Amino acid sequence: MPEGALAGISVVELGEMVSAPYCARLFADYGADVIKVERPGTGDRARAWGPFPGDDPHIEKSGLYQYLNTGKHGITLDPATARGRALFLELVGGADVLIENASPRSLRERGIDYASLAAVNPRLVMISITPFGQTGPYADWKGYDLNAFHLSAAGSRYCGRPDQAPLEHGTFAADFFGAVTGAAWGLAACLGREQVGGGQQVDVSCAEAIAAVFVGGQNIGGYAQDGKFERRTGVGMPLGAPATIVPCKDGHVWMLALEPGQWNGLARVMGNPEWMELEMFQDMFARAQNSDAIYPLIEEWTMTRSKWEIMERCQEAGVPITAVFDVAEAAGHPHLAARGYIVEVQHPLLGALPVLGPPFRLPASTGRTGMAAPLLGQHNARVFGERLGLSESQRAELTAKGVI
Amino acid sequence: MNGRALPLEGIRVANFGWVWAGPVVGQTLAFLGAEVYKIESRARIDMTRTLPPFAEGVRDPSRSLSNHACWAGNGSVTLNLKKPEGVRLALELVAKSDAVIENFGPGVMEQLGLGYESLRAVRPDVILFSMPAAGLDGPLKDIRTYGLSLTSTTGLDSLTGYLGGPPVPVENAFSDPYNGILGAFAILAALHHRRRTGAGQHIDYSQQEAVMQMVGPAFMDWTLNRRVAGPMGNRHPLGAAAPHGVFPCAGEDRWISIAVLEESEWRGLVEAMGAPDWASAAGFASHASRLENLDALHERLSEWTRRHDDRELAARLQRHGVAAAPVLNVADLLRDPHYVARKTFIEVRHPLGFSETIYGAYVKNSRTPALVEPGPAIGRDNEHVFRELLGLSEARYRELVGTQVIY
Repeated sequence: MPEGALAGISVVELGEMVSAPYCARLFADYGADVIKVERPGTGDRARAWGPFPGDDPHIEKSGLYQYLNTGKHGITLDPATARGRALFLELVGGADVLIENASPRSLRERGIDYASLAAVNPRLVMISITPFGQTGPYADWKGYDLNAFHLSAAGSRYCGRPDQAPLEHGTFAADFFGAVTGAAWGLAACLGREQVGGGQQVDVSCAEAIAAVFVGGQNIGGYAQDGKFERRTGVGMPLGAPATIVPCKDGHVWMLALEPGQWNGLARVMGNPEWMELEMFQDMFARAQNSDAIYPLIEEWTMTRSKWEIMERCQEAGVPITAVFDVAEAAGHPHLAARGYIVEVQHPLLGALPVLGPPFRLPASTGRTGMAAPLLGQHNARVFGERLGLSESQRAELTAKGVI
Repeated sequence: MNGRALPLEGIRVANFGWVWAGPVVGQTLAFLGAEVYKIESRARIDMTRTLPPFAEGVRDPSRSLSNHACWAGNGSVTLNLKKPEGVRLALELVAKSDAVIENFGPGVMEQLGLGYESLRAVRPDVILFSMPAAGLDGPLKDIRTYGLSLTSTTGLDSLTGYLGGPPVPVENAFSDPYNGILGAFAILAALHHRRRTGAGQHIDYSQQEAVMQMVGPAFMDWTLNRRVAGPMGNRHPLGAAAPHGVFPCAGEDRWISIAVLEESEWRGLVEAMGAPDWASAAGFASHASRLENLDALHERLSEWTRRHDDRELAARLQRHGVAAAPVLNVADLLRDPHYVARKTFIEVRHPLGFSETIYGAYVKNSRTPALVEPGPAIGRDNEHVFRELLGLSEARYRELVGTQVIY
């Protein structure tokens, strides 16, 4: 197998839960050497979150942890102790990139904030991914994915019914968004170190990234100029129709037929009912004005068909309608199997474990290692011994003191 | 310019991307210093340039306020790719570019005469970044979707909605900016590879697969337990938190998000509420019992939150060590003190003479703050690219403009 695209880049991760670990996994997926630093004893909090096989909690069996940490080396180290901090500085001193999601305050308290780290390694790129960022009035607020997501206005604007609560997407959407943002901006900072004269801190706020790029992009210019803004409607696209999720016989489909060719294609698939030929329904905006009439008529038809039949026949007719795949359907779809998207890693306790593979293909430089996520402290001997030159007795002493 | 080098200076990108995802790939690289030219045409104006509202209400493809923030950073050259001379000029620009971006369906670049092999013929180490909906091969490669419906093929839509109810559609393409930013990472990884080996490559970026990564937690539950998750409202995706949700506050459509994962946070919440009797009842005494009685807990909590102002309550809960934040709407974004302090949104003067508000450097790089320019007027960089970069004579340039090749 050719070397990964990011071979030669050395990454240290001080991450918990989703955002920093996923960012570091992206580096690992493409061949960077990633060392994950975890708290002695309990490790990354994701280890306690599950999902666990049979819902039986076990520190080495969290599905979330397995997914987010494949391809990494794992060590345990407590940078809050003096000796632990010294070892951490030594580790970071030899790294290109540090990826972390600790609170800015806890970094300062432990003396491992960017200023302290840059003093030992001016070439370090420190990717900090937190709900609110390193500066600003909320920088020291406590926050999780849910808090960051809803501070972005994404829920208020785009997700939920008008008379009900704004919604998150049913996953850690803000953490993932922050992770990919940190990966792109951080890798650029890493590649550009020669020309900009050294490393730097890349400060990502998950809330801000979504507020800016997803919500702000199409809304803020208009609001700033005209003082008007929109809120969620519960309908996929309120200005055109049909464009929303509708129920069918065995689930749901994303119903989309906006352009004239699409509308006519849908009509053909539906057997050319007379109402679809009415003049008043020939334009997507007019159809949206009459959505109370349109959607029940469409549903009458979809409720007699399966989502796969609807998708297949509409796609054949050039209409961009898709089934709403549930998780099992997405995971088992032949398309993803044909592309080898889901990969298997070998885990000492879980056996052969399917996980989602890398998010994109770099044909000239794949380089996925196939390594399962590390057991807690699995690579202590290798990293502290080989890389940092600690003897076996020194390691034993530090282990006894709870430093590693 | 901010007077110092940016990390990606010297990298040139030809961006055939359109609508949203492709332009954001270019934007991300441009904010970091790359020189990015979006190739577009007046022969088929990008739909997003035609969307209202327009600057000062003047309808024009260079004045769409919803387009400008999304495309900012990209330059713009106009080429009619239906004409052979337009394709030839595009290839000349590619020959001088490090990377090429496109977000058409599979095969479209080939039909245009701009497939990977054609690009390689003029630029052997080119990086071609293709981001079709479901990748360059496989049974669904020609699937038709919109950005906002692509999520339906990943399982993500099946998780979004009120608990126990049907899926609720997200009303815009979360996938597009997500893939735009992650796509920039893909190109940067390929650039690193090229730096080490001298070799370019054709990146196969399936938007479906990239977005499905967000479904990973639910995928693992299916893998390990064969459990298929459904819409879960604002609950914790792994059921690890109680309370965990969005609760009503005083005022119209005002809400607060509250997430309690640790015992210390629960104690803080109880304290902030003034230690009501119900909170110490058996049903809520332990994390396990709170998870079991989550509906009742959320009901109790709502009764309390709805009497309070969202911002005041968030600040108060934070003082008690509880993760809480106001749920903002679009208008709030512009005046929220946090975003104001971080200069998330900035007012810029457009070269066409109007002011507009766009997002600025939404990531703060300590050494090299991002370079943010207003969205490009259509054809903004024609003179520079065709005259200076490609070396066309004034006469030839005028001729190509006259024959609507540069158009």
